[in-house]
Amino acid sequence: MKKIRIHPGNLGKQLLSTGNTRTKRILSFFGHSLLFLITGVSVVSVLFIFIFIFRDALPFFKLEGFKEFFTSTKWYPSSDNPSFGALSLFFGSAIVTTGAVIVSVPLGVIAAVCLSDVLSFSLRQIMKPVIEILAAIPSVAYGFFALVIFAPLLQDSGGNLLAISSWIVCTPLILLITIIGSGLLASKISPVNSLYIRIIAALIIGIPLFTGLWFLSSHISGIQISSGTNALNVSIILGIMALPTVVSVSDDSLTAVDRSLREGSYALGATRAETLIKVVIPAAKGGIVAAVILGIMRAIGETMVVWMASGNAAKIPHPWFNFLEPIRTLTATIAGDMGEADQVTGSSRYHVLFALALCLLLFTFICNLIGEKFIKRSKKITR
Amino acid sequence: MKTITILAVFTVLCCLGIFLVNPALAGNPRSKIVVDGSTTVGPIAKSFAEYYMRMNPVVNITVSESGSGNGAKSLINGTCDVANMSRFMKEKEFKAAVDKGIFPVAHVVAVDGIAIIVHPSNRVKSLTIEQVRDIYLGKTKNWNKVGGTNKRIVIISRDTNSGTYETFEKLVMKKQKITQNAEYVGSNGAIRTRVQSTKAAIGYVGLGFIDKSVKAVKIDNIYPDNNSVSSGKYPIARPLFMFTNGYPKLGTHLHAFVTLYLSEKGQEIIESIGFIPITKY
Amino acid sequence: MKLQTRKLLDKSFTGLNLFSAFLLISALIIVLGPIFFKGIGAFVFKGTVEYRRMIFDQFGRGNKEKIFKEIAYSQKARKFIYDNISDFEKGIIVKSYIKETKKIYKEYKEYLSSLELPNPHKNELRRKSRSLYSLFIKALESTDKEKVENILNQILSDPYRKRFDSTPMTKMFHLVTRYSEIVNQVDLSNREVYLENLIDLKDQLRTLLGPFPKDPKPILPRNQYGQTRWDRSLVKLNDVLFIEKYDYSDSSEMGQIVQYPRSEIFKGTTVEHIFSYLEDNRESILLPKTVFYWRFFTDVPLDSNIFGGIKPAILGTFYLTFGALLFSIPLGIIAAIYLTEFAKENWLIQLIRTCIGTLAGVPSIVFGLFGLAFFINTIHVSSSKSVLAGSMTLAILVLPTVIRASEEAIRTVPHTYKEASLSLGASRWRAVLTVILPAALPGILTGIIISMGRAAGETAPIIFTAAVSVGQPLKLWETLSQATPALSWNIYNLCTEHEAVDEIRHVQYGMVLTLVLLVLLINIIAIILRARINKRLIGRT
Repeated sequence: MKKIRIHPGNLGKQLLSTGNTRTKRILSFFGHSLLFLITGVSVVSVLFIFIFIFRDALPFFKLEGFKEFFTSTKWYPSSDNPSFGALSLFFGSAIVTTGAVIVSVPLGVIAAVCLSDVLSFSLRQIMKPVIEILAAIPSVAYGFFALVIFAPLLQDSGGNLLAISSWIVCTPLILLITIIGSGLLASKISPVNSLYIRIIAALIIGIPLFTGLWFLSSHISGIQISSGTNALNVSIILGIMALPTVVSVSDDSLTAVDRSLREGSYALGATRAETLIKVVIPAAKGGIVAAVILGIMRAIGETMVVWMASGNAAKIPHPWFNFLEPIRTLTATIAGDMGEADQVTGSSRYHVLFALALCLLLFTFICNLIGEKFIKRSKKITR
Repeated sequence: MKTITILAVFTVLCCLGIFLVNPALAGNPRSKIVVDGSTTVGPIAKSFAEYYMRMNPVVNITVSESGSGNGAKSLINGTCDVANMSRFMKEKEFKAAVDKGIFPVAHVVAVDGIAIIVHPSNRVKSLTIEQVRDIYLGKTKNWNKVGGTNKRIVIISRDTNSGTYETFEKLVMKKQKITQNAEYVGSNGAIRTRVQSTKAAIGYVGLGFIDKSVKAVKIDNIYPDNNSVSSGKYPIARPLFMFTNGYPKLGTHLHAFVTLYLSEKGQEIIESIGFIPITKY
Repeated sequence: MKLQTRKLLDKSFTGLNLFSAFLLISALIIVLGPIFFKGIGAFVFKGTVEYRRMIFDQFGRGNKEKIFKEIAYSQKARKFIYDNISDFEKGIIVKSYIKETKKIYKEYKEYLSSLELPNPHKNELRRKSRSLYSLFIKALESTDKEKVENILNQILSDPYRKRFDSTPMTKMFHLVTRYSEIVNQVDLSNREVYLENLIDLKDQLRTLLGPFPKDPKPILPRNQYGQTRWDRSLVKLNDVLFIEKYDYSDSSEMGQIVQYPRSEIFKGTTVEHIFSYLEDNRESILLPKTVFYWRFFTDVPLDSNIFGGIKPAILGTFYLTFGALLFSIPLGIIAAIYLTEFAKENWLIQLIRTCIGTLAGVPSIVFGLFGLAFFINTIHVSSSKSVLAGSMTLAILVLPTVIRASEEAIRTVPHTYKEASLSLGASRWRAVLTVILPAALPGILTGIIISMGRAAGETAPIIFTAAVSVGQPLKLWETLSQATPALSWNIYNLCTEHEAVDEIRHVQYGMVLTLVLLVLLINIIAIILRARINKRLIGRT
């Protein structure tokens, strides 16, 4: 570095300055404590957040007890005899988070593998910014997209959209199955390695699967979606939002896996796919789990998208896994109900929102602890 | 050193950004009026605020639309000057206010009717209030029970966090709870969008939101319009309030702002954004 | 498994990987594409003459002469429409006729009393004029065409007509002649229906073209002008040309929509022609011209964002972002220095790290609740919502990002730097300040820039602490006590709670585009910066 210029004349002084004079030590101690205090700001913030949320959540449980809150699905906070069954809200948060995980984890992990092991250096330089930009888009922009562009699309041509996406998802899978299956089948039929037999085997397996897919998609395309603002919409958008987290964290843990492991595997004659699936991914398992947990945290804590595009109906869909019905989540309830809840009168309607916030907070806290543990463990394994 | 240059250029650019959009950094301090509260009264307050600020550029009026309850809270905590409310203050709120030395005064700025809307392709033209209630209770499930086509009714409701919802609950539902199958939507505009895109839907919106894309039905044989609402014939209507702490001192900007609704201009504004003025010229 | 299969499997695995990368990119394009494409529409669009009139009136921009010329030109083109409607109105709205007739009759009575004539003579004229007057009123009020024609003929062929020559009564005969012409064109029995449709038509025309020439000036800007954008004009033009009617004849189905041309309703009347005229001359009536409205960034919004730009929101976002950085940068960097250079690994530091992790994971809406409860209601940084309170809340939100990025950056500084500095006799403090920090600065900067983007885009934390839907652009010192509109909140507000959601889609898109561009710009700076650092690091080692 150019910055350090030490005059020869000062050298002695500089050397002496490391001496243990009393004042220096006291100063250093104070400086140390000051730094520690400033570092403590984040601890204090967390503590305060917990205290403030807890302080306002406690009256709710005192007033209404636990049972209704956790077991009932009747959410009528504004009624004259209000009921605060938050189960449907928990369910709503759970279902969209699950949906987001279904969307983001397979795609994210595969993309991370792609980033760490498949793409060349220059292509990686292109992909990284793409992921960063996905992460940088503000949540309200995603919400706007979900509400203004995606929801009408889903409502008008939802069936076709679903059919197309089923093709996109299933085609690679079916191709994989066909390749593996035809290989096995061909080796069973004749020990001679013949291209014709392999093609025939591939056709035998592939054709029924694709016709099945064809029937499935034509069935799906008949579905009428009555409301575009539903769990599916939000799940997909939250999935896209959680993608960058999943990709970058699992990418980190995959690259952290030592080269020697890979080289060992290649030396034993494994292909790249086999190396990745049997060696690298198991070694980076901890990090990938942590990535999934972080993705879950991102999805469950998201407010604007769910507030704008989830439909906000406080009920458990029928049947419960029906993604095409509107739902309501914890975060959207807090954001939406806060304005109308009368704080001054100390009503349960106000405090219930803090109770919801407390549940969210505890959940993310626990998630974070688990995630940290996994990251630590993966670091131990990979190093 | 390159990074330092970049840093410097970046900072300069940022500052430039601020100063470009904010050329007048000097000037007299402006007085402020903070308006908070209901989303239903929001359009009135926003239009009033913009009109007033155009007439008096020395005032900065900020309008938040965070809900009636929040409006009351802000007024009681002294964090706003005007609380917009689409319902009257509750007893407890009054008590809390007086305990803190704040004396809420209500100004009824306009009347709002709540229209029951259906898709224009729906042949139902008129419903009784009991029929509407039964639909929202989930008892009536099909349009053919109320004179329509054989189609399952899709129930759309305002979010529970709105004054519109509370009014509907009070005037139509009579303390009974809306069925859980109802879909909750965040705003009047969103209800209209949902109804215009769903043929079997029913919803309710403020009068100002009726347009050709949805059809308002007669309630107890009375069509919701300015006349029937202001005369009280239409059953689902409510006054909209602005609350201040005490009656504002005469001659202040606050006074002029909250009494704008009494002027001819104010009434024209109210009428042209779809509400019904209190008095008629 | 055979080698070939394994190879194929390997290839397809690679294919799957590439496919996922492709999906990632397409997700980005699908999300950003429409926002970019439609967002541009807020800046570049075809503005009509109404747009230029609005800009001139409200913002005082534009060439006065040119605009007046244009207005005059379009008024000339519109004259046909207004004239036809007012002609037709006379047949439908007879009030003006009745009023005029009454005036004429009164005038004549005064004229008569001023005449010097024998009384019986006078009386006779008076009687006659009164009977003519009441006949005409009867004709005006009647909707039976035959009857009306009879009466009108009776009046016109009245033997006394000559005697009223060159008196005020001639005016009445004029009126009668004109009315009889109108009656021939208008189906009088449909008067009520016509009236209803005419009012509707006039409303539609007002939204398309702005108020009629004789209308009093409306108070809200949205009613003062017609459609300012050509794309919206075409939609509204369609509303003028067609009525959406519903056919309920099939009782087992919902009603079917029928596009019913309005000209059919007014068939055989003077109004019928305006529809085809309007369609043919729409360009000369509205004079569309492509404009580049870059002032969208710097104009204040007008009439709940229906006209104008988004200056207060942009400014508010700037204030909030920089405010957040102002608090979080010192805290974050100092914490990072402490954690990397001074802290010993013990349970306390472990706790701090866990807390930072937790803070990063707290849902943003919880920050909002906390900001309201702590900054505003407990320590009263301001009497109500303010930029200050919002910045503080955002600062806590981005604090973990800043800490982690700075930590990472400090850790990447090679140990040798520090060791060299220490060996030259610098104290630990000095080494940190003069050697490590400058070396880590680019990395720290990247972290700061990324958290800047985060702060600019967050919505939930500022709902309860800083954001309002209407407010003037703030001056710097006002940020301590006043709230501001902010891009993120106003996007939410405009696309869910605005009373004319569909009419101002372009503003919403423009706002989203602005926010996205802002955040992307910030991030791209970070990306470029990091690329430079990487290059340098590679070059050095």
